[in-house]
Amino acid sequence: MVVTEWLLKRAADHPRPFVVSAEHGTRARLLGEAEIARRRWRPAEPASEADLLVICGTPGEEFEAAIRTVWDDLPGPRARVDLPSDATPPSIGQALNRAVAHLADKDAQWRDAAARAGKPWSPDADRNSDSHTPDGGSSHHGHDSHASHGQEHDDDGHEGGHHEHHMGNPGGLPMAGRGPDRDGLSLDRLHVSIGPILSDWPRGLVVESVLQGDVIQDAAVRWLGSGESFWAEPWNKAAAGHPVTRAEAGRRQAAAYLDSLGRLLSVSGWSGAARRARALRDRLLADAPRAELAAPYRSFERQVRRSRTLRWMLRDVGSIEDGDAVSRLDGWLTRTRAAIDALEDETPLDGAPPVRHTLHPGLLVGGELATARLIIASLDPEPAVAHA
Amino acid sequence: MLEGAVLLLALVGLGLSAACLDARLGGAQVGAPFGEVARLLVQQRRRTLLRDTLLLRIGVISLIVAPVLAGIVIPLGDAPVADLAVGIVWFNAMEVCVWGSLWLTGWAVNSVYPLAGAYRLVAQGLAYELPHMFALITVALGAGSLRMGDAVQAQQGLWFVVWMPIAFLIYLVSALAMAFWGPMSQPVGTDLAGGVRAELSGPDRLLFQAGRYALLVVAAAAAVPLFLGGGAGPVLPSWLWVLVKTAAVLGLLVWVRHRVPAIRMDRFTQASWLVLIPLSLVQLLVVGIVVL
Repeated sequence: MVVTEWLLKRAADHPRPFVVSAEHGTRARLLGEAEIARRRWRPAEPASEADLLVICGTPGEEFEAAIRTVWDDLPGPRARVDLPSDATPPSIGQALNRAVAHLADKDAQWRDAAARAGKPWSPDADRNSDSHTPDGGSSHHGHDSHASHGQEHDDDGHEGGHHEHHMGNPGGLPMAGRGPDRDGLSLDRLHVSIGPILSDWPRGLVVESVLQGDVIQDAAVRWLGSGESFWAEPWNKAAAGHPVTRAEAGRRQAAAYLDSLGRLLSVSGWSGAARRARALRDRLLADAPRAELAAPYRSFERQVRRSRTLRWMLRDVGSIEDGDAVSRLDGWLTRTRAAIDALEDETPLDGAPPVRHTLHPGLLVGGELATARLIIASLDPEPAVAHA
Repeated sequence: MLEGAVLLLALVGLGLSAACLDARLGGAQVGAPFGEVARLLVQQRRRTLLRDTLLLRIGVISLIVAPVLAGIVIPLGDAPVADLAVGIVWFNAMEVCVWGSLWLTGWAVNSVYPLAGAYRLVAQGLAYELPHMFALITVALGAGSLRMGDAVQAQQGLWFVVWMPIAFLIYLVSALAMAFWGPMSQPVGTDLAGGVRAELSGPDRLLFQAGRYALLVVAAAAAVPLFLGGGAGPVLPSWLWVLVKTAAVLGLLVWVRHRVPAIRMDRFTQASWLVLIPLSLVQLLVVGIVVL
């Protein structure tokens, strides 16, 4: 017992947080990520690695159901933190402190474990009580964990959220159907929802995919929740008649690019550069002056531009009319530098915010999962942006 | 017996040092790996529907057994734990067992992302294994023997790294691939929600991570007798030279992880088969002519 208690305390000193951004959660996510980086905690890369689930914003019904599934699958000791949209740095710090105390609290964790042991586990344990949408949406949150649920769908039997236990099938799940693949073989087709709870993933995006091996045969895109106004806030304020300077808008925009760069670099498997991008983003949003940002940004930009491996891996990935992933990366880098250089421009803001990319599902079809993740990260798409 | 204990101690010590260095370079606290061990020791197991527990146990446990078995042929000072006449082949065989470990782990949990991670591992194996084997054969050819100790003896005058630089570089690339580490970590990639290890938690995950670090240490340690002259060096005793050289290679492998993005096999396979295999064959030819 003493040993368990000691281990729990040691473990709680090094929690592995996983940050989920739900509707209106971008601001809280950025503040939360900055605080986590300040405490030098190592973020959990997949949600399954986490013991601290940090939910930012106000998830809608379907999003909340996905979060609950991830939470139910999270092995204890565990803690959940909810950061409302209007969270402030002090309130975030307090919330994280409380969560750490909860992680180290032997009795609370025992109670949690006992409560879970009491009810028989099934992958769909909480689903019966959910209000399912008839189109089969809510039963398959293809979050990190139970991706195996994807097998529940058969090619022709689109089950929606209903429980139909098929006699003679393992675990009551229908077998995956087969179909010809790109090499002329007949392979299993798995229906997998990718998202909405993944690391480095656009908020609320769900890609309903048909996989053969790790190749996407078919894809459909849908979004949980509407667009986020955080990145367009300066323009919305200016449109509403408030005085906004170009510097303020440029700061927000540079932070947006660096956020996207962080995701792209992280999905590219280059966590070191991703961390640099996020550190710069956090300093921008903390109103660091231009003089403190310009030199570190130059150094970061040089490192990323010089990486031939990165270019090799991103070339011809997700080619659309404005170029491939490499050209989008270069564009972000160039525009970020311009925005940082203009951080002392006090003239009033006019014009519209830069348009963010949208995601066409056709772009993902025929590629491997790895390519699809890179395409999505290199677009960092958003649903239609909400204007005030 | 004593050598065995030393081997295990070296694996644990160097593995933990690598983890701490990795945490430090990754911006976390140096002690983070110890916290992680504590966390995994008290963590519950994740459950997935219809997992094949037997295969999962075999996969996870063999992942930590294989690097230990690969390590027994590596001379720690003057002699290895087991001085096999086919030491280089043994090392290669044990390290290929890891393919099986990862595939079983990815398959057994019955989940999409681990399975896709296992697919990636197979593709990675096909891409790196041939150049890797040619690099090992080059060493064996230069030494005129498959015994690790003979390879060290053959480097008394000149280290193999000097006149087999290409084989050494190919070995380093394949060492990353062998331990699915850094640029070659796609089978456990973040973009696949952790790939093969996505559904592992608690003791399973602890064993998996320990096995991965053990593999990394063994891959770094094998570079010492194969290319870096084993325990040869001035002043210090040979066991200390082995340790210093292993730590240097290990540090390099850990550092690379933070400097280079992940390499996708659909691109790397082409480079591997069209560039690395011919290069390794040219190196083999050159060494063959020199030996003649």
